[in-house]
Amino acid sequence: MALAPNQKPLVEKKKNSFDRWWLLLAAVIIIIVILIFTSPDPYYRIFKYVQSGLWTTVSLTCISFALVLVVGLIIALMRLSRSKALRGFATVFVEVIRGIPLMVQLIFWYFAFPAVIQGIGDSWGIQAFSDFKTNAIAMAIIGLTICYSAYMSEVYRAGIQSITKGQMEAARSLGMNYFQAMRYVILPQAIRVILPPVGNEFITLLKDSSLVSVVAVADMTRRGREFMAANFIPLQTWAMIALLYLVLTLLAGRLVAWLERRFRLEK
Amino acid sequence: MEPIIHIENIHKHFGGVHALKGVSLDVQKGEVVLIIGPSGSGKSTLLRCINRLEEFDSGKIIVDGIPLETAENINQVRTEVGMVFQQFNLFPHLSVIDNITLAQMVVRKRSKEEAVAVGKQLLEKVGIHEKANAFPMQLSGGQQQRVAIARALAMNPKIMLFDEPTSALDPEMIQEVLDVMLNLAKEGMTMVVVSHEMGFARAAANRAILMDAGQIIEEAPPDILFTNPKEERTKLFLSKIL
Repeated sequence: MALAPNQKPLVEKKKNSFDRWWLLLAAVIIIIVILIFTSPDPYYRIFKYVQSGLWTTVSLTCISFALVLVVGLIIALMRLSRSKALRGFATVFVEVIRGIPLMVQLIFWYFAFPAVIQGIGDSWGIQAFSDFKTNAIAMAIIGLTICYSAYMSEVYRAGIQSITKGQMEAARSLGMNYFQAMRYVILPQAIRVILPPVGNEFITLLKDSSLVSVVAVADMTRRGREFMAANFIPLQTWAMIALLYLVLTLLAGRLVAWLERRFRLEK
Repeated sequence: MEPIIHIENIHKHFGGVHALKGVSLDVQKGEVVLIIGPSGSGKSTLLRCINRLEEFDSGKIIVDGIPLETAENINQVRTEVGMVFQQFNLFPHLSVIDNITLAQMVVRKRSKEEAVAVGKQLLEKVGIHEKANAFPMQLSGGQQQRVAIARALAMNPKIMLFDEPTSALDPEMIQEVLDVMLNLAKEGMTMVVVSHEMGFARAAANRAILMDAGQIIEEAPPDILFTNPKEERTKLFLSKIL
């Protein structure tokens, strides 16, 4: 996030502040390791089979979330803007996107959107459009980004509005323009407020990324379904996959907690 | 002589409230003007119109030859006009010195070394150089307000606006802020001050103005306004605050 160029990190100087919730993560990892070593068949086989899906899930989530952080901020600033047109657009965007299930949106981007492009190409005689082919991963990233940007913009908006009006006035009275004031004064303060809900959005996105398994992306969930279809051991397969998701979400939760401590204001 | 602030017949509405009803005021370079009046009289609104923190509906304001019309003009004017707020409005996530250097670097494009040097010098001037690395929350109200004054001065403004700078302070901290303001006045800074500090007014102000219900009721040198006002409205107000 944007910090003032001269800002020192505000690390809390508290010794032995060990975060005990790491132990929970360690416990889950130990369970996975024990399962793999004590009964490699089927657990190691499952793990090897879904491994590529694990990386797909992680990279899909991280790329989408990076985009969500940017697009969500733009939507939030539009919603807070004085221009009626920008405000209206952003409000309609948030209301519409947040009102449609993510699964429906993902299916739209993968199946319906290419048909729309091809239809335009056919009727206007644009060959490049008629030949439009979808890339499942790209469409999944678009779907996740658009949906989560709508959620995230509300988180940003709440954070920005929680900073008193006087901060913006002080920054503007010193001659900073709107964007400078946002970047150096408002957002660095807002980020402390919104870190917990932003972390929450990240973890939710990580889990919701499993929905891309219905639109031809070979993420961890889809790999699990393929493995189950071939081997008929649903209990072991889904136990393994649930544990792997838990590793990811618990790890994300710890990282957020660590960031929160780093950004906490000195008292 | 051309006034450094020229306000001509400005009107301002907040929804249905007519907050400023045709106020006109000229301030000369080096002058210290004190504005008093009951709450809701429009004195803060008038002050905030001078650097366009508040938009006005009609009328004209010219600051140091720059009319407040376009956005570019407004940012230009704001760098020439320093403002001090009742609630200090220091940036709580930045240390004292960073509060003072931020706008210097971002707006004035000074190097970090230069900005820090200016900042340290100003902290010396307001008497709290030892607090450069403290955070605003660790300071008393009086110290915070002095940092806020230093932060505004770091932009080398030609005019300083003070919006009730001592009203949020505990009584024992008021004098340290007023002393800084008195020194500024002695150095010839043009100042417009919304405050009821009679002592400061007598010591430093060239003119005192009473506002009520969005209008200027009376203006005179502070001694005359406080002791021998012409208007009934002024007498009534002074009888309540003295």
